[in-house]
Amino acid sequence: MLDSKLVRLGAVAALAVGASFGAQSEAFSAEKTVQIAGFGAKSGVVRSFGINTEAVLSGAIEAVNAAGGVKLADGSMAMMELSFYDDRCNAEEGISVLRRIAGSDAVVAIGPTCSNVAEPLFGILQKTVGDEGDSGLQIPVFTDTAIKGGLAKISQWAFRNVPNESEMYRALFQWIATEHPDLKTVYGGVEEDFAHSRFTWHKVMKERSPEAGYEVLGESKWLLNDTNFTTQVRQMKKAKADIVAISAHPFTTCGVLKEMKRQRVKPSLLVGLTSSSSMETLQGCAEQAEGIIIPTSFAPVTEAAKAAADAAAKHEGSADLHSAAAWEIVMILKEVMEAQGIAADGDSVDADRRKIRDGLANLKETDGLLGKIQRTDEGEAVKPYLYVHAQAGEWAILHDPSQ
Amino acid sequence: MDWLDFFQSITDGLLFGSIYALIGIGFTLIFGVMHKINLAYGAASIAGAYVSIAVAAYVPLPALVTFLIAAIASGGIAFLIYLANFRFIPLASPLATLMATVGMLILIDEIVVHATDGMPQPYPALFADIYIEWGDFGLRGDLIFIFVLSLIAMVVLMFMLYRTRLGIATRAVAQQPVAAQLAGISLDRTNALTFVITGLLGGLAGAMIGASVGVLSPLLVVPITVKGLIVCVIGGLGSIPGAIIAGLAVGAFENFFLAFRGVTERDMYVMLLLFVFLVFRPGGIFSRSVARD
Repeated sequence: MLDSKLVRLGAVAALAVGASFGAQSEAFSAEKTVQIAGFGAKSGVVRSFGINTEAVLSGAIEAVNAAGGVKLADGSMAMMELSFYDDRCNAEEGISVLRRIAGSDAVVAIGPTCSNVAEPLFGILQKTVGDEGDSGLQIPVFTDTAIKGGLAKISQWAFRNVPNESEMYRALFQWIATEHPDLKTVYGGVEEDFAHSRFTWHKVMKERSPEAGYEVLGESKWLLNDTNFTTQVRQMKKAKADIVAISAHPFTTCGVLKEMKRQRVKPSLLVGLTSSSSMETLQGCAEQAEGIIIPTSFAPVTEAAKAAADAAAKHEGSADLHSAAAWEIVMILKEVMEAQGIAADGDSVDADRRKIRDGLANLKETDGLLGKIQRTDEGEAVKPYLYVHAQAGEWAILHDPSQ
Repeated sequence: MDWLDFFQSITDGLLFGSIYALIGIGFTLIFGVMHKINLAYGAASIAGAYVSIAVAAYVPLPALVTFLIAAIASGGIAFLIYLANFRFIPLASPLATLMATVGMLILIDEIVVHATDGMPQPYPALFADIYIEWGDFGLRGDLIFIFVLSLIAMVVLMFMLYRTRLGIATRAVAQQPVAAQLAGISLDRTNALTFVITGLLGGLAGAMIGASVGVLSPLLVVPITVKGLIVCVIGGLGSIPGAIIAGLAVGAFENFFLAFRGVTERDMYVMLLLFVFLVFRPGGIFSRSVARD
């Protein structure tokens, strides 16, 4: 009798212990996390870019986790967890940050903000996957903001989800030529010491506008922290161009626009740099920027884009053409991780990184906030875009080329 | 480049150079009195301008009052810099105060960046829409105002230095600190007041830069610090008339080379000018002789 009681008690105890282990096992499974590292400029004059990227990343990861997280190779679900680092828009800091990320459990790095960081940073990644003689870092880096053309080809571990400015401005100048056939000439203004703005004028706007039939009459140059644009705008005024294309970031764009107003330089049309289609420009010089046309790969015009904008606002940031790319990146990564079957346990970091890289490299098309995004063999994106213009202190949609 | 372009660029540069002169005076006055360089001076100047727009965001203010608040705020910040970087740091070690002011520059810059997220802030201007034209020659109304205001500030400063007891005390401390103390002049008080006065000038300069660009940005800090130091050296360390002339000259010089050689070479020529002075006239514009070792 006692024996049978003991047996039953033992059985119950065994069941309890078993259930406990099972529960613990489930708990362990539920506690698995996929470590994501974000990095960008959160100090210095481009601090707002890093803040926006972090806010959008946080919002996107929150959305993924709310939907159950990421399905791992063993069928369990794992939550995404974000760590965000400040690279100060400085190449040395950026490289240092990436080395720290590479030494952590993060399976992918999302960033950086600045092209002058991205270019050298991609250089410390292994150039060709599987090259035993190359001791470069082996972690996929997926860039949301650094936009200077053609950087992803530096390494097979580098990927970008930034707009293709060459295509955007080619199409924009073609569209302007159709809409305003009376305009014949273009004059450029360029912030000469910033990688992105310099590249976009010299290699994009200046080359794409003649393809649409425009004559480039000249260019004025200034530096990122210049304070006096009198001479440059006077040169601009002398040229009497129909279109003035300003390839500069918000601070100097505003300085130049205010000087243009002062000197009564009134071109028929103003074209701006993609990075200036932000609140910074409107905050600095909404009145003078009125009418400026900028191609952008983000506007809250779809349900997904609105959700991204709301999530960014909830995390005290703003979704714009740069930061919104981070939302798309998180969603792309979730799909790639699930398709590639990552393990997300402590021992599988290197293998998971390789799986994610391979998955990203094989992508041909992904979903984006404005529509389908094409992926190139060089790790770049070809994103849908819109033309916006400044109107009464807001960015309003001027034209959707896909329509 | 024709003669019109030449005169235009020189005139624009002279007008803008008055701001460099104000900044240069601040550097040189502190050096004259304490024989120390305050590298946080430019940052304090811009921070003062930021404080003024922060106040104006709550209480709508006329532009002139905003400029005045910038000057007062910068004067207050300059006093804090004096306390933090000079008053309680051993003055015998030149590197200690120099590095302390570098740290203060970075600190002030980052405070501004964190407060504004680095986003450009619109700054009020006076006569911003006025552009006086004679044929192809033109003058910005706001730069003329800035030039006149800067000149008034310089005249007031010179009057204060040469016609008031505070000015006499300041000059006495600059020339013979020990004798000044024996005469009953408080070094600490005089030094602190010098910082406040330079702060007032710097705040005015910060406001004028904001007004001339129409936008404030932390990007302004480094250029005005560099330009202020160049002006200070070319004008002669400690020489206020030298700083005024050097400020105007540097403004004209850089604008001429901007128009003549382009923005990518402009700063090279300004630096060349600095080296020329360091080699051939190290005592500055008004030095009596070539005072080299």
